[in-house]
Amino acid sequence: MRNSVNRPPTPDAAEDPGKEPTLQEIINIKLIESGEKERLMELLRERLIECGWKDEMKALCRAFIKKKGRSNVTVDDLVHVITPKGRASIPDSIKAELLQRIRAFLVQAAV
Amino acid sequence: MSSKINHHHHHHRFNTQIFPPPCPHLAEFRARNGSKPFRALQDCLRVKPPGGRAAIRRDPSEVPRCGACGESARPRLYACLACAAISCHAPPGPSHAAAHATSMPPGHEIAVDVDRAEIFCCACRDQVYDRDFDAAVVLSQTATLKSATIQSAKPENLRKRRRVDYRPWSPDIRDRVLMETGSSPLENGSDLPRGLRGLNNLGNTCFMNSVLQALLHTPPLRNYFLSDRHNRYYCKKKNGVSNSNAGGKRNVGTADGHGNKNARLCLACDMDAMFSAVFSGDRKPYSPAKFLYSWWQHASNLASYEQQDAHEFFISMLDGIHENVEKDRHKPHSQGHGDCCIAHRVFSGILRSDVMCMTCGFTSTTYDPCVDISLDLEPHQGGSSKSVSTKTHHSCNGEVDGMNPGQNCGISTLMGCLDRFTRPERLGADQKFFCQQCQVRQESLKQMSIRKLPLVSCFHIKRFEHSSIRKMSRKVDRYLQFPFSLDMTPYLSSSILRNRFGNRIFPFDGDEPDASNEMSSEFELFAVVTHTGKLDAGHYVTYLRLSNQWYKCDDAWVTQVNENIVRAAQGYMMFYVQKMLYYKASENRAVS
Ligand SMILES: [Zn+2]
Ligand SMILES: [Zn+2]
Ligand SMILES: [Zn+2]
Ligand SMILES: [Zn+2]
Ligand SMILES: [Zn+2]
Ligand SMILES: [Zn+2]
Repeated sequence: MRNSVNRPPTPDAAEDPGKEPTLQEIINIKLIESGEKERLMELLRERLIECGWKDEMKALCRAFIKKKGRSNVTVDDLVHVITPKGRASIPDSIKAELLQRIRAFLVQAAV
Repeated sequence: MSSKINHHHHHHRFNTQIFPPPCPHLAEFRARNGSKPFRALQDCLRVKPPGGRAAIRRDPSEVPRCGACGESARPRLYACLACAAISCHAPPGPSHAAAHATSMPPGHEIAVDVDRAEIFCCACRDQVYDRDFDAAVVLSQTATLKSATIQSAKPENLRKRRRVDYRPWSPDIRDRVLMETGSSPLENGSDLPRGLRGLNNLGNTCFMNSVLQALLHTPPLRNYFLSDRHNRYYCKKKNGVSNSNAGGKRNVGTADGHGNKNARLCLACDMDAMFSAVFSGDRKPYSPAKFLYSWWQHASNLASYEQQDAHEFFISMLDGIHENVEKDRHKPHSQGHGDCCIAHRVFSGILRSDVMCMTCGFTSTTYDPCVDISLDLEPHQGGSSKSVSTKTHHSCNGEVDGMNPGQNCGISTLMGCLDRFTRPERLGADQKFFCQQCQVRQESLKQMSIRKLPLVSCFHIKRFEHSSIRKMSRKVDRYLQFPFSLDMTPYLSSSILRNRFGNRIFPFDGDEPDASNEMSSEFELFAVVTHTGKLDAGHYVTYLRLSNQWYKCDDAWVTQVNENIVRAAQGYMMFYVQKMLYYKASENRAVS
C-alpha cells in the first residue's frame, strides 16, 4: 500500500467511529488542548534542572559516550541506556507536585 | 557596574565543529527534494508564545497521534518528511517510525520530532542536523518575536578584532646597552614566586590589601604595569604640561572638579609605583600608604578609617583608574571595548539582557558593560524538592573540577549561582515592563547571559545583605564551593539562545565558530578574597595561586597553604583569568 504524499497526519484509528477513546486518552487530549500539558512540561523541565537531575543525566550520557566512542553512539542508544536510570532517579517530591497539578486540572476541567 | 539580577539555566554544549556529516539518508533526501526540501514543513512550524519552543502542527489545535497505533501520549512522535505520516518511537519498545521507514520505498527515513522541531533519521535511529532546516526554524521563531535591540554599549566583537601575529624579538646591541644602563637586574633570592610580598595594615585596611593582592597578581594587569605601559614619571611630566596649558585655556568639563591640588592624582601612577615596589625583590612588607591616600582623594565619599567593603573598593578603584586615564585621552571610547583604560581592558565584559513580553512574545535586548558579576547565594538547600535520595555522593569532597556536581549534597556551588544568574526570571506584576508591541505594560520574562567574556572574570558573592528600610545589614556565612577551573560556555549568550531554540546548527548572537572562542571560555582561578567574622568586625584575607601553589596573604603575613584550605574558605570575591593567560608552571623560570 502506498500513502499519498498529501496524506493528513490524522490517523485512521482516531477517525474510527467504532472505537471509544479511553479515559486516559480523553485526559491527554484535554491536557493538550488546554495548553496545560505544555505548562506541565515546562514545570517539569525546570524542576529537573533545579534538583540536579539534568546534570546527572548529562554526566551519565557523557560517560557512556566516552566509553563507546563518540561515533558509535546514537540518540536511541543513549535513550535506551539512560531511561531506566532517569526514571528511577526523579525525586518523589517532583512526582508529587506534578500529580497534584494534574489532579487540580482535572477537578477544574470537570473531566 | 556589577549586575544585580539573579537567574537560571540548562546548557547544551554545542560545538559547531564536531557535527557529524549528514547520514546517507538525509543526504539522499536532500538530493531528491531539490533546493527547498523543507518548504512544506515551514507552514507547519508553530511557535508557542511567549518565547516558546518550535513545534510541528498542521493546524494549531491539532493533537498529533501515531498513525499505526493511535497513541497521542508517547514521548516521541515523528512526522515523516516525505509523506507527513505521524509515527511513534519509543525505544526499546516497538517503533512505528522505524517500521514506517522500512515498509515504504526508500525516502521515508527522515522525520521531524513534532514537539521539538528537530530532525531524526529513523533508519540510523539518530538525531541528524541540517543547516537549512535549522535556519528556517530559528527564523520562524524570531519572526514571531519581533525584537528590538537597545544597545547601551555596542558590543565590540560584533566586528571581529584583528589578530596580530606573534613576532619574536631579541635585543640588538643598542637595545642591550640601553637596557643595561637604564635598569638593574632584579634579585629573586628565594624560592618564592616574584611579587609575593605582604602589605602592611594601615588601620583597618585589609579590605584594600586583599583586593590589591589580587590585582597585583592579575596576569594581564601585572604584565601591563611591569612592561612599563603606564610610566609614572612620564605620566607626571605629561600631566604637568597639560596642566599648565589648562591654566591658560581653562579646561572645559569635569577634569578640575577637585581643584588644582588633585590635578595630578593618577591611580594608575600609584599602581605603577606599587608594582615596582612589590616586584623589586624586597620581601619586607610594603605599606601602600601613598596609594591609600590617592584612593581617598578619588573616593572621598567612601574614605574613613572604618572597615570598608572589599568589593566596593574594587569597583571604585577600577573607576579611578578609568577616570584618570580618561582625562588625557580625548578620543571617545566606551567601556567594554578593547580600547579603553587598562582596568576595563582587563575586567570589562558585556552582559546581554533579554526581556520578553509574556503576552505577545516581543523581546527587547540590551547590552551592558560590567566589570564583575554579583551573584546571590542560592536559597538554602535541603527543601523537599531538593531530595537527593538516589544521587551519588562521591563528588562532595571538593574534588569536583570539570564535572558539574549540580546541587548534589545540598552544597551551594559557583556554577549553581551562575545557573541561577542566567535563568529566565519572571518579572512580577510590580515590575511590569512597557511592551513596544502591545503598547502597554505587561508581565515579562527576563534572561541574562554573557555576551562577551572579559580577560579576567571577577565574581562577587553577595554575602552582605543590606536593608535600607531598617538600616540593618546581615552577613550570610554559608559555604560556597568554587572550582579551580571554570568553563563559562554554558552562560554565554550563544549557549543561552541555542537552548531557547533547541539543538540547531545556527550561529547565535555572534557566535564565532573558531577555536579561539572556544578556548577563551575556559578560566583558571588565581585569587580568592575571603571574609571571616562578623559584618563590622571581620577580616579580609586573600589566597593567591602562583605557579600552581597557593599562598595566603593576610596583610603583612604571607604563608604557603594547602589547596584544601582554599577550597574550604568562605569566598567573597573569586578572580578567574582566561586559561590561555594563566601560567601554571613557568612563572619562576629565570629569564636569561
Ligand atoms: Zn505507534
Ligand atoms: Zn513517510
Ligand atoms: Zn540515516
Ligand atoms: Zn598616571
Ligand atoms: Zn576604562
Ligand atoms: Zn507585548
